[in-house]
Amino acid sequence: MNDKQLQGLVSYLIKNKHTVYSHTDDDGKINIKKIDTGKDFTLCPKRPLYSFKKFFLPSCQKMMVFSDNETTLNRSKNEKIVLLGLHFYDLKAFTLINQVYKKDPHFQKKLRNAIIIGQSPIPAEMEDYQKFEKEVLEHLKFDIFLEAKSHGKQESFRIFTGSEDGQRLLDDFGYRDYENIEYKGPVPKKGLGPINSMLIEKIRKSRGSEIWKELDKKCTNCGKCTIVCPTCFCFKIKDEIKKDEILRSREWDSCFYDEFSEIAGGHKFLNTTEKRIYNYYDHKFVRIPEEYTMPGCVSCGRCTEVCPAGIDIREVLRRIIEEN
Amino acid sequence: MKNQYEPIQTSIVKIEQLSPINKLFTLKIKNKQTRNTFKFRHGQFFILSFPGFGEAPFGFCSSPTIRETFQVSIDQRGSLTSKLFKSKVGDNIGIRGPYGNGFDQKKIKNRNLVLVAGGCGLSPLRTIIQDANLHPEKFQNIQVFYGCRNPELLVFKDDYNQWNKNIEMNLTVDAPDKNWKGDIGVVTNLLTPEKISSDSVAILVGPPIMYKFVIQKLIELGLNEKDIYVSLERRMHCGIGVCQHCVLVGGKYVCTDGPLFSYAEIKDTPEGI
Repeated sequence: MNDKQLQGLVSYLIKNKHTVYSHTDDDGKINIKKIDTGKDFTLCPKRPLYSFKKFFLPSCQKMMVFSDNETTLNRSKNEKIVLLGLHFYDLKAFTLINQVYKKDPHFQKKLRNAIIIGQSPIPAEMEDYQKFEKEVLEHLKFDIFLEAKSHGKQESFRIFTGSEDGQRLLDDFGYRDYENIEYKGPVPKKGLGPINSMLIEKIRKSRGSEIWKELDKKCTNCGKCTIVCPTCFCFKIKDEIKKDEILRSREWDSCFYDEFSEIAGGHKFLNTTEKRIYNYYDHKFVRIPEEYTMPGCVSCGRCTEVCPAGIDIREVLRRIIEEN
Repeated sequence: MKNQYEPIQTSIVKIEQLSPINKLFTLKIKNKQTRNTFKFRHGQFFILSFPGFGEAPFGFCSSPTIRETFQVSIDQRGSLTSKLFKSKVGDNIGIRGPYGNGFDQKKIKNRNLVLVAGGCGLSPLRTIIQDANLHPEKFQNIQVFYGCRNPELLVFKDDYNQWNKNIEMNLTVDAPDKNWKGDIGVVTNLLTPEKISSDSVAILVGPPIMYKFVIQKLIELGLNEKDIYVSLERRMHCGIGVCQHCVLVGGKYVCTDGPLFSYAEIKDTPEGI
């Protein structure tokens, strides 16, 4: 599929009442925005700071409304959306969150109404780019995947489909040169793999060691890393008293916030920065891998980019591996 | 797909004041079909909510064999419980659950059962006590060791005489009043080799400080770490192992893996107890 055909596909989706969100390049800053024409989007190796997480897990998910002894469950809108251009790591994050929220009606309804189009980075700008092999794609949730190929200056894409929805969409659009990849579940045959298994052991072993004491002094508990992280999914349930009704919603929460572990009477179990930051790593590199057989970190680097204290997750992991 | 957060509507059929800070609420599920299928086990809990005041987890405190209604005994501690304390018979309360692993009764088959409670910790243990009173044939010997700050704060005081027929009640308070006839001091003092056989199974519900001392004492008395169960209290928002608030760092969730854990399971968990 060439550039022009891809633009045609996007225009076709917009014409068919889909709301399309994609990366836009605003003077070098990559954002995710609703696009109005088939030419407004950009596919580039640079990722946006905020991931596509909010489209499935909104920062505030309205769950139910109480009024005069009546409880009305909020049903999410049947809006057809297209998310265009998810990078490999955002697809990985989405695949994980889909496992965690497998039984969640809000998440699953949004998923049913969404077309997910992934992309590989563009080879000319990514030197260590490696071809996406089937073994990788068959464990990712997506409808269509665009693998970039370079033909001189002209961009073109090898097209994969990952679902019946994706196939049907391309058939209806009139493009048939695609290869279908059957989703084989989130976990590859080899399981976690040696690096992630090693990390579980090393993180456990590192508890109480020097690095956590250093991070205790560095980290400001701002929680920015949890907001930009595409796999952070903690939440709280909150009631809000409005004029005529009471709204119960599910909001993003952060394990760095002071009241996260507070119980009646005021005791907090995560009462030091050291405990909180260890818990953050424990969740990503111990608990998620053990529970879902997938790493809880997709290596997108957003947490490092946003940290006001300069904590670099790669550096922390490197030290944990070396020192334990 | 079922909405996991939708509350089941119950109505309050009875409110009894158990202590100056504790009330016993008897709740009845309004929908008959839901009521008939609603079942819980010893050691499970539910999430109670009041619109505008949020949700919080509470342990059941009546026998699981009573199916028409169930009970919960609540200390007034925060905004949700204060709101509950103002409610009246006939008011609606939302609940969801039951949640948690519950207690496998096979573990206490033909074994002496030691229940150690502190403060309102007696309430969740009452599921077993009431069950044993209604169905004595299901249990071997049960001993209760219950400590409280003062006699006023003891919950279910009117029932002890009745309970004493089938189980052994041992009471102690820190600060007795002039009518107090029981023991004085911490509950640990009641746990002696004469009283407790080393092959007992123990379940502890109370404040974490009590756990530290009671566990130590029970191990000294020869109980196996696998046979000492503690009920852990954590903040919870979902009850289904997703929201992360109740995590025990290292890999367990109090809502799905607990709230009852054997000491052997959690002794290496930092901040576990």
